[in-house]
Amino acid sequence: MNDMLGLAYDTTFDDTSVAVLRGTREILANATLSQYADHEEFGGVVPERASRKHLEVIHPLTAKALATAGVGFGDLDYVAVSNKPGLLGAILVGVTVAKTTAYLLGKPLIGINHIEAHPYANVLTHGPLPFPIVHLVAAGGHTLLIRQDDHFQWQVIGRSIDDAAGECVDKVAKLFGHAMPGGPAVDATALAHPPGDYDFPRPLLREPNLNFSFSGLKTALRYFRRDHPAAPEGPVLSAFMEAVVDVLVRKTLRAAEQCGVGQISVSGGLAASRRLRGAFEAACAEAGIALYYPPPALCTDNAAMVACLAAHRYAAGSFDDLTLEGYANLVE
Amino acid sequence: MTRALAIDTTSDVLSLGVRHGDGPLHQVHDRCGAAMNRRLLTTIDALLHQAGLTPAELDVVLVARGPGSFTGTRMGLAVARSFAQIAGTALVGVDTLALLAAAVDPAQAPARGHALLRCTRREVYLATYAWEQGAPRREGEIALLPLPELLAAVGTEPVVLREHDGVHGGPDPRLEALRPMALRHAAPDAALLMEVGLALFARGEPLPEAAPIYLKSAAFRTWQPRREAP
Repeated sequence: MNDMLGLAYDTTFDDTSVAVLRGTREILANATLSQYADHEEFGGVVPERASRKHLEVIHPLTAKALATAGVGFGDLDYVAVSNKPGLLGAILVGVTVAKTTAYLLGKPLIGINHIEAHPYANVLTHGPLPFPIVHLVAAGGHTLLIRQDDHFQWQVIGRSIDDAAGECVDKVAKLFGHAMPGGPAVDATALAHPPGDYDFPRPLLREPNLNFSFSGLKTALRYFRRDHPAAPEGPVLSAFMEAVVDVLVRKTLRAAEQCGVGQISVSGGLAASRRLRGAFEAACAEAGIALYYPPPALCTDNAAMVACLAAHRYAAGSFDDLTLEGYANLVE
Repeated sequence: MTRALAIDTTSDVLSLGVRHGDGPLHQVHDRCGAAMNRRLLTTIDALLHQAGLTPAELDVVLVARGPGSFTGTRMGLAVARSFAQIAGTALVGVDTLALLAAAVDPAQAPARGHALLRCTRREVYLATYAWEQGAPRREGEIALLPLPELLAAVGTEPVVLREHDGVHGGPDPRLEALRPMALRHAAPDAALLMEVGLALFARGEPLPEAAPIYLKSAAFRTWQPRREAP
């Protein structure tokens, strides 16, 4: 099993990613093509444009990934693909290519839940995670708290009821005129400035549940910007990020406490925020909780994390057949 | 003895065909709509079995490349390109309006006519053809026109029309009133794609590219470039 070779695809949103993994952790290739430049003029991702780009690049990117890995199609043991959730048209490109590849090679096909795969960026980074564990998945379209008791055994214990945290950060970045992707720009600005006297709401923090709401925070920023056009950007964005980070950290630690769990993993695009990482490191050290955090390259969407989860499915003999479908939503 | 697979996923009908040389055409014409992705590979596998072929034995994949359903077109092309990349199969792309023109009865074909494919309630794909010795030859590029412009461009000349199955509001009486051409083939399907595609394949290199034909901007409907607030 340590020598098994997997080919994985992720086309759930605006990045086309193809990875080759040996065993459960050795990334031989993780080729990702970002489409930011293709969507920038619209200020957001255009689903149809994303789907078209996926088809345009997925086969050359596959060739590149295999060449980087130094393997051929015939060396592969399985083919994996994220088949939910995300933009359905985009997902179907990856699913169709993966199914055809598995069919032509006569190898097992493994459909992967993209959200379930995000925490496996930490398996790639740190090795097997201890169970039970609480995951914060702060991906572009989802902010979820997940309790996982074993591989493939997980339940969502908290979720964003409106905008995801990453979505909120991107929209605020746009409000301040930052180009896509706005998150890194907001994070860098926030790191460079103290929040000063500015303070923004911490939505649902006083509620006992583990859900999130970031739509109101975004609106608060919009009105603040309207009413205080001369307020300096740096301190304002720093205060905004402090509110986002505060909610994410405190709710995640609360989830660990409620679950009686002594370990937390953080993953997803927003996990690349240095502000968030610093806050988690400090809070977990103080609380005596083990923290698992991936490097920035494995926070954003990538097929290596998909391959990592798929490798565990392969080892368990859990395969899909050629009728595998794509789904826009987390729940089919 | 060409061994060919034909894939048309450009409408809500999954139309597939496999032929081994002069043998019978093994064909599926399945109005499966949203279940297309679910059935695509399993149906190809079943047809290859019927024809006694393995995927690696195919010489060529003939694929409809639009215009039509964007998502469907991509699915067909994704399969075809994967065959080319992994099995080294040759690819021939055929546009859907060429299939419409090929459906016209050559014995009764006019000197000039139009192939029309509904895109939306208000827009129609148009290609104009001249028939020479019964064979259609396209004049100019495929266009996507608003319905009034399309009607003006066609005038009283004969047409072969295919309604897009996903168009809301059903058939448009103005299109229904156009003068139809006599057909030898009721609707474009894998049999027609097999015929047209194999003829192109027989001509040899360079083969028609298997790239999608969209003609419509990816940023249609609600998405527009951002405008600054006044």
